[in-house]
Amino acid sequence: MIVSTSYQWSNVGARLLGVIGILSLLATAKNADAQDIGDTLQVHGFLSQALVITDDNNFFGPSSEGGGSTQFTEVGVNFSVRPHEDILVAAQVLSRRAGGNGSEGQPKLDHGVVDYQALSGQERSAGIQIGRFKNPFGFYNQTRDVSFTRPSILLPQSIYFDRTRSLGLAADGISFYEEERLSKGVVRLQAGIGVPQTDNDLERQAFPKSNRTSIDGNTSFIGQILYEHNGGGFLAALSIADVSGDVRAYSDRGKLFFQPTVLSIQLNREKWSITSEYAIRKIESRNFDNEIINSKVIGESWYLQYTRRFNSNWNGFLRYDTMVANRNDPSGRDYEEAGSGPGHSQYARDWTMGAQWKPHPQLLLSAEYHHVDGTGWLSVQENPNPVDTDRYWNMFLMQLSLRF
Amino acid sequence: MALSLVRWGLTCLTMILAPSCIAEDEQPDIVMVANQDVRTTSLNQDTARAMFAMRQRTWPNGQALRVFVLPNGHPVHDRFAKQSLSVYPHQLQLSWDRVVFSGTGQAPTQVMSQSEMLERIATTQGSLGYLDREHLDDRVHVISME
Repeated sequence: MIVSTSYQWSNVGARLLGVIGILSLLATAKNADAQDIGDTLQVHGFLSQALVITDDNNFFGPSSEGGGSTQFTEVGVNFSVRPHEDILVAAQVLSRRAGGNGSEGQPKLDHGVVDYQALSGQERSAGIQIGRFKNPFGFYNQTRDVSFTRPSILLPQSIYFDRTRSLGLAADGISFYEEERLSKGVVRLQAGIGVPQTDNDLERQAFPKSNRTSIDGNTSFIGQILYEHNGGGFLAALSIADVSGDVRAYSDRGKLFFQPTVLSIQLNREKWSITSEYAIRKIESRNFDNEIINSKVIGESWYLQYTRRFNSNWNGFLRYDTMVANRNDPSGRDYEEAGSGPGHSQYARDWTMGAQWKPHPQLLLSAEYHHVDGTGWLSVQENPNPVDTDRYWNMFLMQLSLRF
Repeated sequence: MALSLVRWGLTCLTMILAPSCIAEDEQPDIVMVANQDVRTTSLNQDTARAMFAMRQRTWPNGQALRVFVLPNGHPVHDRFAKQSLSVYPHQLQLSWDRVVFSGTGQAPTQVMSQSEMLERIATTQGSLGYLDREHLDDRVHVISME
């Protein structure tokens, strides 16, 4: 089942790549003399390998056993070319394993777009992307799998859930972007309409213990407005999404709605940055014949992070990251009393500190330590029996990353 | 720390008293330079920043743009980023990584020295880069910052 689902997505990826190839050939043919296209071809890539060690509970593989888990690997290769001065064609293939049975590591099309920047003046620039575009969500979502763009090995899990990551990752459709330069700063807007990816991570997490679950993404909306002041010294962003899908689970049919909103703020100075993001998520399952499946929950999360740049090669950070699955039941007491599972599975409070060292521009070594109260963002697949999980747990990660 | 504050204060004072001389004594002015075929003569700071951050792919008149930069840590790159674009070099680097790995742009072309910068700007159509005044010659065209 898992394998066939992956292949299905892989086929979609291959088709998209084909379409992009044809479009770029057309663009090339029309403007062959515009510039030397070969000159604009770029190929970049990255590779990250981590070691995850926990005292209790499992994260990204059997991290609490033996010497920890090495099942967190990210490999990506991308190419981009400009067949015409206004057009960018870009695609990236990503292989990512984060625990699981290994089939998740199969290469997938991460993004594949034809980007037409129709307008690029002194006051504004604007364009559209067609294909599989990365969703602008919070500060980090678009490049969440590239360790060089992350402030830490793991992004704050309260907002950048890795267990149901597929839904917010990218969409197949069309996206519009604009940058407006005003006297008091720069406003950047992105809005996209497309079909989200609904991989089996979501199926397992949203409908646990259901065999033969399937979720087909409906046309969904995602948008972000970002304000930048003083060359990025101050950033503020609001991201909203309205994602839905048709579900078959527990031998029943219904609909799943996911409406997250993220407010992001960052202060940047030469030696330090302060970042904070707040998210509110509405998750609703509706139209199931079996009333027990129908539910509506509002979850809430936020984090505050301080990053210090000691010099151009070293930086360190301290972060507090917290989430509740249901804001009407923040301690999980009602959940536990209803016999659904332990209360501590309904929240997580994570203190993290860590450091990043770049001995060479293409090499990054990172280490971080987490002290967590609650199991709110642990995956059900890796911790199949919630009663066996521990409320307080510690996690240490090390990661080596290369890029070209 | 205190010393650098004093230096910074003095630089600001110099800027107010003599706007034509922005740089400190021993450090020559850094200017944006472009290929002779570029028809744009001036850029506002936000546009220059968008072009160097690789978010804008053409000159304002629609001509194809090729951006050249010196490596991170090169004093001329650091000074150009901070003084002319008002961004820190680490922010520019993050911006390039984000566009490259999200399919929204390309990385700039890196050159290792100012003499290589001059050579590449002089010979590449639509090029944009920066040099200190001591390295300028008439094969490149200076773009003023509004």
